Amino acid sequence: MVFCVLLGASLGCRSQESPYFVTYDHHMEEPGNLEIETYTTMGIPRSGQHFYVAPYMELEYGVTGRWTSELYLEGQGTAGDSAVFTGWRLENRFRPFKREHFLNPVLYLEYERTSEATRIQKEIVGGGPDVTSPNSELQPTKNHELETKLILSGTTHDWNIAGNFIVEKNLSKSEGFEFGYAFGFARPLASLASGNECRLCQENFIAGLEFYGGLGSTEDGFSVHNTVHYVAPVVSWQVSDNGSIHFSPSIALTHEGSPVLIRFGYSYEIRGFGNKLAQFFGGKR
Amino acid sequence: MRVIGVTVLVIGFIGAVFAQNILYQQDPKWQAPPDAIAKPNPLGQKPDATAGGKKLFQRNCVECHGTTGTGLEKKHAADLQLATVQQQSDGALFWKITNGNTDRGMPSFSRLPELQRWQLVLYLRTLKPEVELPSKATAR
Repeated sequence: MVFCVLLGASLGCRSQESPYFVTYDHHMEEPGNLEIETYTTMGIPRSGQHFYVAPYMELEYGVTGRWTSELYLEGQGTAGDSAVFTGWRLENRFRPFKREHFLNPVLYLEYERTSEATRIQKEIVGGGPDVTSPNSELQPTKNHELETKLILSGTTHDWNIAGNFIVEKNLSKSEGFEFGYAFGFARPLASLASGNECRLCQENFIAGLEFYGGLGSTEDGFSVHNTVHYVAPVVSWQVSDNGSIHFSPSIALTHEGSPVLIRFGYSYEIRGFGNKLAQFFGGKR
Repeated sequence: MRVIGVTVLVIGFIGAVFAQNILYQQDPKWQAPPDAIAKPNPLGQKPDATAGGKKLFQRNCVECHGTTGTGLEKKHAADLQLATVQQQSDGALFWKITNGNTDRGMPSFSRLPELQRWQLVLYLRTLKPEVELPSKATAR
């Protein structure tokens, strides 16, 4: 009921959404806003693999103008196998500089409590996830992982260009440090806003391309040997004042992992969530 | 009839004054650099673009600045109708929309395309205090 009250009370909409699924840019959630996102990664199998669907939900909250926090809940279902809840993640992004620069750094820190069966592939590190072993083998192994990213992103002539360097450490076992990357660029299809309300106008679409993959680990050597790499066109469409739809087919550039990942999702933003929540409980914010 | 008209005008004026966030104080540290202040609005000769600016304002700004820009809906938001705001150059307003002032709750809108931010500046120029005209008042 609280949720419905808050949802019903939300007004307005947000500025345009980033279309990327893996790459992070420097734009933070607006302070006090909550964004609810539901995404799915579908893995098209090679021979010997099974089709899988890995849905996940993100709750993204703007703590301040330069600090955004997110909670992820994720699962996975594999054809001919089982469906499992694969765990949760808590991430924080900090933007050290106040002003816009040509390249804007953002520091990213994430704690994960996920099983080996995780397949959302929100990022790829090391050699990528195991998409061949059955869930019965993978699910019992739970990992505590710490992940950091250096996000560099800037906007020039309406093009956003963003690059992420990823370092992940499994705290549960000795795997050394695993590395990964993501790089993307995107722009809105129209620069000017039309005067009328329209949903199919070009200004409501952002399209781009992203690349992501693993860069090995300190155990295997810092290299791209036996790692997974994808190229992915991305598009987002602002379908309502508060909501947007995202879609991206990722094509594997190497013979590891799934040959194609289909990603899609919907995000909905509740503006002023922090204030509304405080008011609901009698606060004065 | 004339007395009623003047009374309504005075009440309207007082109401408009009190509707504004006249206590708004600019953050002295939040100043656009000289080169940004000097930037002209590339849409300055395209008043048609103002309608798009209004739409963007309603989407992105009313949450804090209110539908009329008076900034009442959130205490610390600027009253965009005040002279202290309207006297700033187009370039300065564009710079402030782009960079935000995150310590004071104003987010950066750099994710909007550059021309859309200039459209917002165009629309900000249309925000004026709402004072009822005598003809309107007496017609009621």
